[in-house]
Amino acid sequence: MNERITPAMVTSATLNDLSASLASLERTANELSSGRTILEPSDNPYGASRVIDLQSQLQGLSSYEGNAQDGIARENTASSAMSSISSKVQRVRELVLQAANGTVNQNNRETIALQVEQLTDGIKQDANAQYAGEYIFSGTLTKTAPYEQGESDKYEGNEESISRAVGPGASLTISTNISTLLGNGAESEDGKLLDTLRTIAKHMRGGTPEDVEALASTDLKQLDGNVETAIDLQAVAGSTTDQLQTALTRNEALQISISASLSNTEDTNVAATSIAYANEQAAYAAALRAGATIVQESLLNFLH
Amino acid sequence: MTIPTLQGLQTALSGLIAEQTALDTTGNNIANSNTEGYSRETALLDPNPPLTIPAISTRTGQGAQLGAGVSVENITRIRNVYLDAQYRAQNSALGGMSTQSEALGQAQAAFNEPSSAGLASHLSAFWSAWNSLANSPTSEAAKEGVVAAGQQLASAFNELGAQLSTLSSQVTEQYNALTGAGGEVEGFANQIAQLNGQIKLAEGAGQKPNEMLDRRDLLLDKLSTLANVTVEEKPDHTDTVSFGNAAKPLVEGTTVNWPQELTEAAGGRLGALLGLNGPTGQLTGLRTGLDTVAETLSATVNEHLTTAFFAGASAAALAVAVKPAEVQASGTKNPGGNEVALAIAGLRGGAAEQGYATLVEKLGSDVRGAKDDQTNLQTTVTAINDQRQSVSGVSLDEEMTNLISFQRGYQASARTMTAMNEMLDTLINRTGI
Repeated sequence: MNERITPAMVTSATLNDLSASLASLERTANELSSGRTILEPSDNPYGASRVIDLQSQLQGLSSYEGNAQDGIARENTASSAMSSISSKVQRVRELVLQAANGTVNQNNRETIALQVEQLTDGIKQDANAQYAGEYIFSGTLTKTAPYEQGESDKYEGNEESISRAVGPGASLTISTNISTLLGNGAESEDGKLLDTLRTIAKHMRGGTPEDVEALASTDLKQLDGNVETAIDLQAVAGSTTDQLQTALTRNEALQISISASLSNTEDTNVAATSIAYANEQAAYAAALRAGATIVQESLLNFLH
Repeated sequence: MTIPTLQGLQTALSGLIAEQTALDTTGNNIANSNTEGYSRETALLDPNPPLTIPAISTRTGQGAQLGAGVSVENITRIRNVYLDAQYRAQNSALGGMSTQSEALGQAQAAFNEPSSAGLASHLSAFWSAWNSLANSPTSEAAKEGVVAAGQQLASAFNELGAQLSTLSSQVTEQYNALTGAGGEVEGFANQIAQLNGQIKLAEGAGQKPNEMLDRRDLLLDKLSTLANVTVEEKPDHTDTVSFGNAAKPLVEGTTVNWPQELTEAAGGRLGALLGLNGPTGQLTGLRTGLDTVAETLSATVNEHLTTAFFAGASAAALAVAVKPAEVQASGTKNPGGNEVALAIAGLRGGAAEQGYATLVEKLGSDVRGAKDDQTNLQTTVTAINDQRQSVSGVSLDEEMTNLISFQRGYQASARTMTAMNEMLDTLINRTGI
C-alpha cells in the first residue's frame, strides 16, 4: 500500500478496473451470443484442437452413415434379384420333375424346355440388376452387364469386389460374385446354374430314355447343388445387410456421444454464463457508480 | 551592540518572498497536476544566517544569535530514481510481451479456428468428397466434387500461408520503421542528447532544471518500451543510456550512437519483433509448421495415386494438379473400383489433420501464455507506476492544504511587516516630539 495517494492514481486505478470489468462483460456477452466458449484457440488450446478433431470425426461418421445406408440399399437390390433367381430355379425344379415323369410325351417336354429357356433368360435378366445406374453383379466392371441376353452365357464381369467404409478403418464387401452361382454356361461345363439349365433344356429336347433318366438323376442333383449355392449367396448378402445395420446403429450411438463431447467442449453453459453475465453487469455498474463519485470529490469542494 | 533598526523589515520581507515562491510552486504543481511525466516540486526553504549580537545581555555580557528570516534555497522535484529503474525494466518486458501477444493474436485470427470456415473444415470436406467418390467411382459429379474440395483446401492453405508471411513481413517493417532514420529510437535518442546538453549547462550554473529532468525521464520511460534501458548519471548530470544489447551506449553526453545492431536479447518491442521472425521464433515456427502440414497432406494423398493429386509441398505452393477426369478412384481401369478413393477417404484424422490440430493447439497456448504474461506485467508496471505516482504525483488535496498554509504564511509575514512599520512610526514620528 502506498502512503500517499494522488487523484491521478485513483483515476487510473478506476479506469483500469472499469476496463477490466468491461472486458470480462464483453467476453461473457460474446460467449452468450455465439453460444461457444472457445472463440479462439487461446481460450482453451487443448479444447480447440479437440474441437477440430471431434468435428472431423463427426463429419467422418456422417460419411460412414451415408456409406452404410447406400450399402444397405444396394444389398436390398441384390437380395431381391437373388430371391427372384431362387424362385425361378424352384420353378425349373418343378418343371424338371414334370418332364422326368414317363407319362409326359415328347411334345409336352419340348414345351417345358421352352419354359426352362425362358426362365433362364429371366435369371440372366435378374443377374443384370442395377443400382444407381451400375450393374451390381459385375464385380468392379459396373458399366458392363454380367450376362448378355441370348445364346452366350459367358460371365462378362470380373472377380473383384467393391467395399464401403462403414467406420474408421472398417470396411465391408458389398458386392456379390454372381458367377459362383451362374457360371459361364454350357460351353464351360462348369456345373453352375446356367450350365445346368442349358443341359436340362438339352435333355428335355433330346427326349431319349437316357436323357429322361438324366433329368431325374444327375440334372436334378446338379440343380439342387446350385440351389444350395444360391442359398449360401443370399445368406452372405443377408449377413452383410445385418453388419451394415449394426454399423449404422453403432454409428448413430457414436454420433450422439461425439456430439455431446463436442458440445461439452465448445458450447456455452447458458445458465452459468447468464448468471455470470448478470453478476458482471452488476459489478460494472457498481464500478461506474463508485468511480463517478470518488473522482469528483477533492478538498476543493469543501474550501471556501 | 543592539539590533539594527530596520532588521525586522528585512526579515518580514524574506518571509514574504519565500512564501510567495512556495505559493508559486504550489500553483505550478496544480497547473501540472495532469501533465504526463511531471514530478511535483517543492520550494526548499532555508533559514538565513543569523545575526550575531555580541554582549546582548547587559548583566552577563553574553552574546546571542538573532534569526534573519528565510530564503529559498532551491526549487526541487520529488522523485525516486530507483523506482524509475524498476519501472523501465518491467516496461521493457511489457513492451516485448505486448508485441508478441499482438502478433500472435493476429496469427490466431488468420487461422480462424475453431469455425466452419477454417482450414480444418476444408480438410474435413476434402475427405468427405473422396468418400463420395468411393461410393460412386464413375460419377463425374463426384470427381468434380473431389477437385473442387481439393482446390478449396489448397487455396485455404495458400491464403493462410500468405497471411502468415504478410504478418512476418509486417513485423520486419515495424522493426525497420522503429529503428530506421527518423524512427522512434533515433528521435528519442536525439531529444535525450539535447536535454543532456541543456541540463549540464543549467546544473553547471547551479540551477535545478526540473522540467528538463522530467522530460528526459519521460523520454527514457518511452525508450524503455522499445528495448531494455540502463541509465547511468554522470557527475556532470548527463545520462549515459545503454540500449538493448547494442555494443555502444545509445546516448553518451550529447552524442547519439545510432544505428546499431540489436538481437532478440535486446528485450522490449524491438527484441520481441526480432524474436518472432528469428530462427526459433514463434511466427517462423507457425510458418514451417503449416508448410509441414501441407507437405504431409500432399505426400499422404499422392502416395495412393499414380497421377499426383497435389502439386507443391508448402502452404504457399499447394495446388491441385489434376483435372476432374484424371481423378483416380481406383488403380485399375474398372469403373467400379474404389480402393484408392476408400484409402484416401480413410486418411481422415490422419497425420495431416493431427499436425494441423497440434499447430493450432501450440498457437493457442502461445497466445494464451503471451496474453497472461502481458496481463501480469501490466499489473506490475501499473503497481510500480503507482509507487512513482505516490512519490512524484501531484495531490490536489495536499496542494490545497499547502496553498492555505503558504497563503497564511504570506499574510502573517505581511502582518509582521505592518507591526514593524507601526513600531518604526512610533519611534520616528512620535518619539521625542
